[in-house]
Amino acid sequence: MRRFRFGVTARIVAVLVVLGVAVFPLYWMFVTALSSNSDLFADQPRLTPDLGQFGVFVDALAEGKAAGWLLNSLIIAVGTMVLSVGLGIPLGYALSRFSFWGKAVLTVVLLFTQMLPEALMVVPLFALFRRFELLDSLTGLVLVNSAFVLPIVALILKGAIDGIPKELEEAARADGARPFTTLTRINVPLIAPSIAATAVIAFFHAWNEYVFAVTFIFNPDLQPASVGIANFIGELGTPIQTVMAVAFLFTLPAVAFYLLVQKYVVSGMTAGAVKG
Amino acid sequence: MTVVEQTGAPKTTTPGRPRRRPSPLGSKWTPYLFLAPAALFILVFQVVPLIQEVYLSFTRTRLLNPTRSEWVGLDNFNRIFGDPEFHRTLLITVVYVITCVVVAIGAGLAVALLLNKKFRGRGVARALVTVPWAAPGIAVALIATWMLNAQYGIVNRFLDAVGLGVPGGAILDSSRYALPAVLATTIWQLFPFTSVVLLSALQSVPQDLNEAATVDGAGRWATFRAVTWQVIKPTVGLLALLMTIWSLRRFELIWLMTKGGPVGATETLVIDLYSQAFDSKELGSAAAIGMVGVVISLIVIIGSRLVARAVEKGDVR
Repeated sequence: MRRFRFGVTARIVAVLVVLGVAVFPLYWMFVTALSSNSDLFADQPRLTPDLGQFGVFVDALAEGKAAGWLLNSLIIAVGTMVLSVGLGIPLGYALSRFSFWGKAVLTVVLLFTQMLPEALMVVPLFALFRRFELLDSLTGLVLVNSAFVLPIVALILKGAIDGIPKELEEAARADGARPFTTLTRINVPLIAPSIAATAVIAFFHAWNEYVFAVTFIFNPDLQPASVGIANFIGELGTPIQTVMAVAFLFTLPAVAFYLLVQKYVVSGMTAGAVKG
Repeated sequence: MTVVEQTGAPKTTTPGRPRRRPSPLGSKWTPYLFLAPAALFILVFQVVPLIQEVYLSFTRTRLLNPTRSEWVGLDNFNRIFGDPEFHRTLLITVVYVITCVVVAIGAGLAVALLLNKKFRGRGVARALVTVPWAAPGIAVALIATWMLNAQYGIVNRFLDAVGLGVPGGAILDSSRYALPAVLATTIWQLFPFTSVVLLSALQSVPQDLNEAATVDGAGRWATFRAVTWQVIKPTVGLLALLMTIWSLRRFELIWLMTKGGPVGATETLVIDLYSQAFDSKELGSAAAIGMVGVVISLIVIIGSRLVARAVEKGDVR
């Protein structure tokens, strides 16, 4: 009986420690944003947020360029989400339901691209972008981000379509439906959770992307938040509270959306990789 | 492109004609119609640039004059492999990758086992554990840098308080502590992923087998080896592969925390390639370094498939 109790207590303590480790850095970001200067540089730092300082979030959005950065990020992320899911659904469908010449090569290419670092591809893509006047444009970032997230999106959706019984489609085809119609009317509604998961993956891939954004955008008005926030690191001019407030506003949507569709994202990512 | 045009042609003729029942799989061009836009995209933005990088790795090309490249054969590779700094980069890459794989999976497994028992609030706990993985890398680099700040960082204040303070506190500027700090930050971001994946693998461990083993008098460790480990082994293998590939290509977190410094202490292959291209402005050597990374990734992938096949056959346990 005593042993049992001890085990439960130990488990509760262990769970709390793990949760503390997991959450503390983001909590600290929030606390720092809401600290007065005297708290920040005191010998004993304040460990709880000073909610009286809440205006820092309003100021961060109103004064600086942060609102513009976040808007640019939003445009890039929505564009990437629409384009990569729009291209990924038919690609996943083709991979799942048809056998065709070149399928094996295509699958290998999709898996192979997963290991290419952005930093490696940035040089030839820079040359390509200069030729097609895509430098300094949000469209260019949408295109390149879509290409980079497309393989994982397609592989996840292929896995989802694999899980739908073929009989449903065959029945529709027997009634005279074309392949495109069976895809949009039968498969798409059935894989809606996976589509939502890939949409989140694609959105935040673009939201978080840094290497292409920092290399291809020169106009400060077109900078996304990832570049703006990265520029804060090692820079001393901006008050740390503002920096943390902007970073927190940048982080919050990513965390919130991942928590919503976490289950599908994780099973999708592992399924996509297992097939390799 | 041509595929789209060819399949487009018969389509336009169908209106007006009496409707024919399509064959069960449509025409043989149907799959190409579905995949052509995506395939074209990947061709233009991934395959062609990669081929250009392969070409660049055999040339001397300067960033300032990139259209003039001079074919130099294997010179870039000979030079980087003869350079002791590159040997250090390789060593740091290996240390970084192996530590990430081992610790992220070990910690993930511990957390997964912890969260696998039923308790009140487990759902909330599972959700909160995933927070680090969902946080953007840029924000993680920023908060890590602030927490490790030499003067006001909470980490130094804590270490000082427990008497383990680093002299001067500049962890990220110390060639001794920068790599551990970057590793800790990386693993903090990775362990939620490994633990959630392992947690779902643990769901398929048959509970009655666990109980039977316990009834037979097997200890916890023996039960774990005999039952749980056998079930989650393929998942651990998959995670090891994913962690390896992700860690080989990780850039922002390391670049923003240390830029590969101090004096190369955190310089992995990808950091080295980026600074070769944009600081030293040598696109040829940068491409060559990139190719070394790609080949290492390929070897890991092919090796892991061979191991997986051997395990399936039962040659390896």
